[in-house]
Amino acid sequence: MNIVVLVKDAVDEAELRADPSGHPIQKGATTKMSNFDKNGVEEAVKQKEEHGGTITVLTLGGAESKKAMREAMAMGGTRGVHILAEPEAAPDSLGTAYYLAKAIQRIGEVDLVVCSEGASDTYMGQVGAMVAEFLGMPFLAYAKKVEVDGVKITCEQGVEKGVRVLEAKLPAVVSVLSETNVPRYPTLLQVMVASKKAIEDVQLSTLKESDYPVTGFEVLSVTVQPVNRKRLILEGKPEEAAKKLVEALRQEGVL
Amino acid sequence: MLGVEAVAIELDEVSPGLRSSGKVLLVKGEKVLEDDGDLAATSIVEVAKAKGLQALLVGDTRFGRVVAAKAAARLRVGSLGKGKRLRAEGGSLVVTRDVYGGKFLADVAARLPCVALVQPGSYSAAEGSAVPAETMTLTVGDPKIVVKETKRGRQAEAGIKSATIIVSAGRGFAKKDDLLLASDLAKALGGALGGSRPLSSDLGWLGEEQQIGLTGAYVHPKLYVAVGISGQLQHVAGIKDSKVIVAINNDKEAPIFQFADYGIVGDLYEVLPALTKLLKNG
Repeated sequence: MNIVVLVKDAVDEAELRADPSGHPIQKGATTKMSNFDKNGVEEAVKQKEEHGGTITVLTLGGAESKKAMREAMAMGGTRGVHILAEPEAAPDSLGTAYYLAKAIQRIGEVDLVVCSEGASDTYMGQVGAMVAEFLGMPFLAYAKKVEVDGVKITCEQGVEKGVRVLEAKLPAVVSVLSETNVPRYPTLLQVMVASKKAIEDVQLSTLKESDYPVTGFEVLSVTVQPVNRKRLILEGKPEEAAKKLVEALRQEGVL
Repeated sequence: MLGVEAVAIELDEVSPGLRSSGKVLLVKGEKVLEDDGDLAATSIVEVAKAKGLQALLVGDTRFGRVVAAKAAARLRVGSLGKGKRLRAEGGSLVVTRDVYGGKFLADVAARLPCVALVQPGSYSAAEGSAVPAETMTLTVGDPKIVVKETKRGRQAEAGIKSATIIVSAGRGFAKKDDLLLASDLAKALGGALGGSRPLSSDLGWLGEEQQIGLTGAYVHPKLYVAVGISGQLQHVAGIKDSKVIVAINNDKEAPIFQFADYGIVGDLYEVLPALTKLLKNG
């Protein structure tokens, strides 16, 4: 089975700082493989272990994205395809999906595309479904469980209202959740082997054709959200603290 | 007021107060909401095209995100989300949303026509007359995905998104049965029970619809009590609009205390029963 797994090198929000005017210091910001993408990689590796085949780790991002790609390859990716896009000129969801879909088409016979529910830094959850649309493939979203049997893919989809059992024919795109699996930690040997695996660099311009969708997407402003909370700690034994709390909440008028 | 004509799907359930100076047509239908998103996306695109509507608004739920993405890809237009506030400005739609785990607030824009995901509860029900309904017959193709079975979730906690008092449980609880302490407190307060993502998704102790945070529900209670919740950015993003936040955690270094008005550093197994008792007797 030829599998493609989508990996994003996301901004590490815990490390991201704001400058004096409240804007995020993006230059030189620490990045990491988007949290949920680890589950995507794990799912791809599980399917490869069960059905054989190859895994292409596909990433659109700047030069430092290779670190996240190597991590995915250490978990079990066979090779990598890196669409080079500097963060300052990063496309929006639709543009990203366009480039990813074009790259997947160039890879050739792809049976399964695996992605996660969303990126940990922007969390739009749009790219997976858009990639499926561009490729004309069914999109099985929010899969808690994935099973492939020949050309048939079945998954248990988790939505707010409950669980649905879905079935479709390969090739397909599937997005997984953090509860779908437990991502493995690669061994030192796997990390060393991964450092030798091939990553193909692709220039954005070579993928862009006349059908590139122009959305007029623009980031107008990004400002830090100040935290204005009282931060009062109520001391004492449980009964005392509870009493103080009830009193305070009555004062606040919420009780 | 949005200031642009729009068509919306699953919006009346999530943000009924969002109105426009023009029309906002709501797409409804049982089958639409049972599907994997293809039918819903087709519907909203067809209505937008037929009526010449500029904005396609979708409630930000797991289902909604798929619908929005498909509609945007088919129309080859921008998709913005999850928006707390929307406005039309100079031929574009501008959406205000949380980014970087909720640490920052961003204003992002795309040229009209475009798609936007609307955060449930961001626009509470408005007074005024209901939007008139229209009927349209649509032709849709065969679904690529077959739904073999639908298992409804357990009877959901009534409207966590509209609850005015919420008690929320996190990993500080040792086992599922212990959540009784939290639900007892919720009952004593006359509130609803919610939780952080690990409790619904990873442990399955609570339903998906009770999940509060960046990837779950954004809540707007007058009182939010976080019990045994460490205070990860992703969770805190969903509780920012609470009037008063209380944190109960036995780790004094827990980040949640930075986001709370009142904090008790203590054992929830002792604090909760004490609180519940006081409220019942007091």
